[in-house]
Amino acid sequence: MSEPTASSSPSSAIVLAAGEGTRLRPLTANRPKPMLPAGTRPILENVLNAVIEAGVDEIHLVVGYRASRVRSHFGSTYRGVPLEYHTQDNQLGSGHALLQARDGPDGSFLLVNGDQVIDHCIVEAVTATHDDNAATLAVVEGEDAPAYGAVTLDGSQITELVEQPQTGEYRLFNAGVYAFDQTIFGTLEQLAVDRGSLPLTDGIKHLLADNKTVAGVRTDEFWMDATHPWDLLALSRELLSRGWINLPQTDTNIYVDDSASVHPDATLIGPVALDQDVVVEAGAVVGPYAAVGENVTIGPNAVLRDVVVDTGTTVGPATTAIELVVGQDCTLQADLTVAGGPADVVLNETVYSDVNLGGVIADRVDVGGNATLEAGALIGPDATVGPGVVVRGTIEAESEVVR
Amino acid sequence: MCGIVGCIGRGDETLDVLLGGLRSLEYRGYDSAGIAMGPAGDVLKRSGELDALEDALETSPLTGTFGIGHTRWSTHGPPTDRNAHPHTDEAGRVAVVHNGIIENYSELKTALEADGVTFSSDTDTEVVPHLIAQALDQGDSPETAFHNTVDKLEGSYAIAAIIDGEETIYAARQGSPLVVGVSDEGTFLASDVPAFVEHTRDVVFLEDGHRVIATPSGYTVVDKDRQPVEVDIETVSYTADETGKSGYDHYMLKEIYEQPTSLRQSFSGRVDALEGTITLEEVDDIPRPNAVQFVACGTSYHAALYGAALLRERGIPAEAYLASEYALSPPPLTLGTLVVGITQSGETADTLAALRDAQSRGVTTLALTNTVNSTAARECDHALYIRAGPEIGVAATKTFSSQLIGCNLLVEELVETAQDRRPLIESLRDLPGDVQEVLDTSNAATLAEEYLDSEAYFFIGRGANVSVALEGALKCKEISYEHAEGFPAGELKHGPLALVTPETPVFAIVTGDDERARKTLGSIKEVQARGAPVIAVTDGQSTAAEIADAVLEIPETHHRVAPVLANVQLQLFSYYVANKLGRPIDKPRNLAKSVTVE
Repeated sequence: MSEPTASSSPSSAIVLAAGEGTRLRPLTANRPKPMLPAGTRPILENVLNAVIEAGVDEIHLVVGYRASRVRSHFGSTYRGVPLEYHTQDNQLGSGHALLQARDGPDGSFLLVNGDQVIDHCIVEAVTATHDDNAATLAVVEGEDAPAYGAVTLDGSQITELVEQPQTGEYRLFNAGVYAFDQTIFGTLEQLAVDRGSLPLTDGIKHLLADNKTVAGVRTDEFWMDATHPWDLLALSRELLSRGWINLPQTDTNIYVDDSASVHPDATLIGPVALDQDVVVEAGAVVGPYAAVGENVTIGPNAVLRDVVVDTGTTVGPATTAIELVVGQDCTLQADLTVAGGPADVVLNETVYSDVNLGGVIADRVDVGGNATLEAGALIGPDATVGPGVVVRGTIEAESEVVR
Repeated sequence: MCGIVGCIGRGDETLDVLLGGLRSLEYRGYDSAGIAMGPAGDVLKRSGELDALEDALETSPLTGTFGIGHTRWSTHGPPTDRNAHPHTDEAGRVAVVHNGIIENYSELKTALEADGVTFSSDTDTEVVPHLIAQALDQGDSPETAFHNTVDKLEGSYAIAAIIDGEETIYAARQGSPLVVGVSDEGTFLASDVPAFVEHTRDVVFLEDGHRVIATPSGYTVVDKDRQPVEVDIETVSYTADETGKSGYDHYMLKEIYEQPTSLRQSFSGRVDALEGTITLEEVDDIPRPNAVQFVACGTSYHAALYGAALLRERGIPAEAYLASEYALSPPPLTLGTLVVGITQSGETADTLAALRDAQSRGVTTLALTNTVNSTAARECDHALYIRAGPEIGVAATKTFSSQLIGCNLLVEELVETAQDRRPLIESLRDLPGDVQEVLDTSNAATLAEEYLDSEAYFFIGRGANVSVALEGALKCKEISYEHAEGFPAGELKHGPLALVTPETPVFAIVTGDDERARKTLGSIKEVQARGAPVIAVTDGQSTAAEIADAVLEIPETHHRVAPVLANVQLQLFSYYVANKLGRPIDKPRNLAKSVTVE
């Protein structure tokens, strides 16, 4: 008779996809942050690719804010791996989100944030290291530590977790890729009793306080988060440069789905990606760094460079757009000009200087002919911009601007 | 209708495969379910949903290495344990499952009873095991006994049988669907592919008259004369993943939310936005017909009404007929008429009968269907697939939307025109986003709450929106069990207005701002004068939203595409009414997904 194996590496993953991502408003009006585009596909698709490439064969998705968007996009399986959905009705933090899936995996499991693009090697490193630790965290080094959860490491052991530290002494931070054994559920349940909001890091701190083994795996593999709307441009640039585009490559750095149609007199300049059913009309020049989502129409003689155009949007004839993020199902009439950054962008009363941003247009916006976006303009969802309007600063959701 | 399954060559996993298959066919019937397993030939069956059978298996487990199973929707005899399949002969040597109707069963039964056979159920099916047993008694080999029995049957059937002492499943198809799943690890039989798609995607679509002899080492297909026939193995494109609920409470809601994707699949590759053309490769050799007759049932009939309205608008005489009426009272046909059957499953018996009638009179037929290789698709001269993907909820939602798109594409294919198709193509390309907007912003759940305790729900529209009114009412009836009726708005004052009271909300579908819209505004005032609350389903182009008591808003689009959006709002309304009433939304009482009996 064979002995049961002492511990096996986790083969199931919980992926958190319930959060809105309030800092990415107005793009998250209709969907959670994990469903915003990284290239032409949702960020979450990239996350699921990474965990599947790392060998996971069972995925639990925690959904909440605008859950139907996740459910309808992925269905019951993704790339042959079964997906089980767990609903977090109120978004009370990542620890609370994890608790919603406590009936999911048996034994050890991976936990991955659904709103960050990661290399599958990070997941593999965590899987390989986990063994019988209570928790294992992927740790990355960078300037940005103060903006995330900073950690300190002693050898391979995590000794401290600090959320968004104010001092500059931390250079290591938590990449949002973890492995846990079942202990974490009990710990979180205990903490949940007297809390409104429950961040996951509180649970991990509790494990540390209980002298459980919390390991850290340092990695310098690719990891990228979008914090502000313009970060989607950088994310898309990275994925296009790396060729992490799940579409047929028709030429060097040019990715075009079979169902897309490109007029013979249009020009594609790589890196560029055109997803399913995209139409590019005569004389258009698309790229470099253009990520064009499903069912988008790009009108004649439009020039698009450094853009993310999300599904269903129509870009009118002779549009010129540089460093532009456009949401889903917008209609941009002819001769729109978006000249590109840099700009000082005001978001939630904070000023961000020198941002390379032509503009952000949220979902289902109508922009009339011959309009102009001044660098850094932000247009909220369902807004209507009249013909010839010069847009500066922020336009609120559902508003109508005629001049 | 019913669903049958069979599995051989799968060893100890057989029972799980059969139960999984029945689970995925449950949409085809849920009055009773049963399983027979060989080599022991034990049978277990229970009335009620599949859960009742699974509970019974806990206490009296079945074992075996091959077997057949059945999920039933009653046509002959009430749903009881006794009438559940499999049926056996008196000695329990033969077990049979059957989908369809054996039309000559009373003659066969009389003859068997004259020979001293005692029947234990009210079903037509039971003649089959007795006939096989009689043939065995007369010295036939099991295979010959099966063939000789099937030769005697008239009507429509898909049958599977197991016989004591033989490690074999015998099956036959005549007029009812039966498909074979092929793999190195077992052979599977079922009424529909989802029953075994998690085990294999390689499928043999049997034709009428085909019989299958399956053993642990493989299968052979023979014809009525027992001669082997060459069959094609086709790989189906959809996988088990498309048939799960994805965390939605009901398949119906999942399928409503899938519409942005399923609609895009319906037109993808068929519209050329660069050239402004619409091309349907499957049917591009049909000449322009002199006239078109649509035949369909239920929801598909509402799509047929819409298709006929579009054709008339484009100058081709067209009518929609209820298939069950058409076959019995066939309207006159002239050569050059095209008969179009609309059927989601491609197996709807009434629609098949109407199409066969048309074919026998020598005209061209076309099947507009969601099911590749279905009977309708194979029997008609042409098949146009709506590509909506598998639909499990009994109440049709995404397939109706895609049928409307299929009609639009077909009309453009049939009508040669110099007219610019770009506006229509643009609207079709905008449709997935427009549907998503309705899904994101709909207030249907709130309105469902508000009007929950109404006495009845009425739906009115004109032109293409008549289809939406009828379909909105049908959906409401099917899943909420509430009284609902749809009318062409102009008909109100000729009778139905007598039913209108302050307790009967009226849904008025008003799109565009043409004469039809303006006249419907008049109808709104008629019912408001009787105190009925009016919910306008409107794109805001007319003043309907201003005069109505409540509004279900849709984005502005091409007048031919607007009905799709209006219908999505009504799908949501019916869903939320039924959900608040706690109805079994995916499996409404007395209904089956596709009705394969006349």
